[in-house]
Amino acid sequence: MLSMATVLANETMGAPEEGLRRLVLRGIGAARPGQFLHIQVSAHLEPLLRRPLSIARIDKERAEVTLFYRVQGRGTQVLAGVRPGEALSVLGPLGQGFSLPAQLSQRLQLSHQSHSPNLGHQGHTRQQGEVRQDSVQAGGELWLVAGGIGVFPLFALAQEAVGQGITVRLFWGGTHKRFLESAGFSYWEALGIPLHLTTLDGSFGRQGMVTDELNTQLSLRASSSLPPVLEVATCGPRGMMQAVVERCLPLDIPVEVSLEERMGCGVGACLGCSVTVRSDNKSLRNKKVCQDGPVFRGEEVVWNA
Amino acid sequence: MPRGETSASVEAAIDLTVQMAGVEFRNPVITASGTYGFGSEYAPYCPVEALGGITLKGTTPEPRLGNCVPRLAETPAGMLNAIGLENPGLEEFVKTVLPQIKELPTQVIANISGFSVADYALMARTLRRDSGLAALEVNISCPNVKHGGMHFGTDSQSAETVIRAVKQETDLPVIAKLSPNVTDIREMARAVARGGADAISLINTLLGMSIDVEKKKPVLANTFGGLSGPAVRPVAVRMVWEVAEAVDLPIIGMGGISSWQDAVEFLLAGASAVSIGTGNFLNPSLPLDVSTGIETYCRRHGFSSVRELTGLAHRV
Repeated sequence: MLSMATVLANETMGAPEEGLRRLVLRGIGAARPGQFLHIQVSAHLEPLLRRPLSIARIDKERAEVTLFYRVQGRGTQVLAGVRPGEALSVLGPLGQGFSLPAQLSQRLQLSHQSHSPNLGHQGHTRQQGEVRQDSVQAGGELWLVAGGIGVFPLFALAQEAVGQGITVRLFWGGTHKRFLESAGFSYWEALGIPLHLTTLDGSFGRQGMVTDELNTQLSLRASSSLPPVLEVATCGPRGMMQAVVERCLPLDIPVEVSLEERMGCGVGACLGCSVTVRSDNKSLRNKKVCQDGPVFRGEEVVWNA
Repeated sequence: MPRGETSASVEAAIDLTVQMAGVEFRNPVITASGTYGFGSEYAPYCPVEALGGITLKGTTPEPRLGNCVPRLAETPAGMLNAIGLENPGLEEFVKTVLPQIKELPTQVIANISGFSVADYALMARTLRRDSGLAALEVNISCPNVKHGGMHFGTDSQSAETVIRAVKQETDLPVIAKLSPNVTDIREMARAVARGGADAISLINTLLGMSIDVEKKKPVLANTFGGLSGPAVRPVAVRMVWEVAEAVDLPIIGMGGISSWQDAVEFLLAGASAVSIGTGNFLNPSLPLDVSTGIETYCRRHGFSSVRELTGLAHRV
């Protein structure tokens, strides 16, 4: 959909030094967690290209979406100057979002109905019968793993999953306390889900990388009767996402990753945002982050293409 | 005016049709190769039947994964791209793309690229009238692949040879797409005319580069890329003007069109039709806006056909 969306808010979030902002738009079609909007920040061809921003909150009843963004280049600088009441040309929602909530809740329902090991599954290869019996008894959890501002699209996913009765747990790493507090910590706190926070300088949560905490918690699960991890969704620096995938897949935990790439058209026409993937038959081919993604199955992404 | 008749109904319809190389286009607005995928990507935003034609993404004999990312870099009033001719290859093109394009309610032009004269000839032999295509655009101007076309487009003898080889193998009209990265565009135009081209499209992108000053290295993984967007338009208009004076072939003008005024500029410089490329990224309904704008312009200036605009600025 190509539309003019009204800006309801465009304001600083948290400490101004972090350059984080919150943009609320009205007049956007139905969006799913993980999708993005391709926004024309200026009608004057400068900057020329639209900017893809992930959707952080979806308010279906009021037909509003919220985007969190960091001012870090020409496009976001110009966007920061847009005032409430003005209209922005918006293409979208675009792309394939996370498949998790619907799929997960369906699977939970199915496991409650039947213990059959042959239930339909979306191409993942783990021992379904065993996991399924566990999840009947203990529910199972959706884990979100975020690095920095990669946490933004995961919020929409968390909201939807929590709304569907899925147990969600967030692992979120940032550089320091002020960043986490500015980048939406209070929203996550209000969601009332368990949060595992890490900072590089130790000023908030555990000191270190978010993947350190993920490893700790995964090891803990392996040796206890805690509910199993049904799926992981991750967004953040490429290296972090790769580490999450390489840690989780051997444990038969499916991972969905949200990738980022410079985009031209946003609709799959220009091939600017290609990502190399491994097909089921192991051959390499390209997909488009804008159209086939931005969310991909962890096992298909070729990290060092 | 008879009583009761509205002024709208007496306004003469403007003839927007153009004929090039024996092909009739319902209006002079075509989409440029590499910016419009294989025709369906933009259908939700711009009805295909509103387009004069679509030029498909460049195809090579073998499949290509293209260059590494980053493939795009934004520049002042423009952008650099170095896609590297990513495409599914001729076999897959014939199997999956051609059946789809037969359903598209517009004229469809295939764009072919190669690394040797034999490559181009092979593509031309496969893509003929019975394929459902309206014409073949021969890309002798891709700047982003080593020996990827631009070699053929910067040497007039090679350009003539490639076009002649393609003409010999296909019964489709042949459009030669010229590179602006030459000293004298007129010489290239004359060469492809000698080779038998039925029409000329220009310009492809201008070779450029951009360096990230913080990282102290080129932005594009390919180092160099092709510059497009409003920044290149004056260069493109000048080249269309020169080619219009050099050869007697229909011209499809392109380079940075982002409004109907830009399109009219190309027509006045000597183009019979225009192509929209990067402008689609900014405004997915731009082709529709441009054809509507051209129609209004014709009405306002008393032209009954868009064909009257071609080359007008040379004569006024």
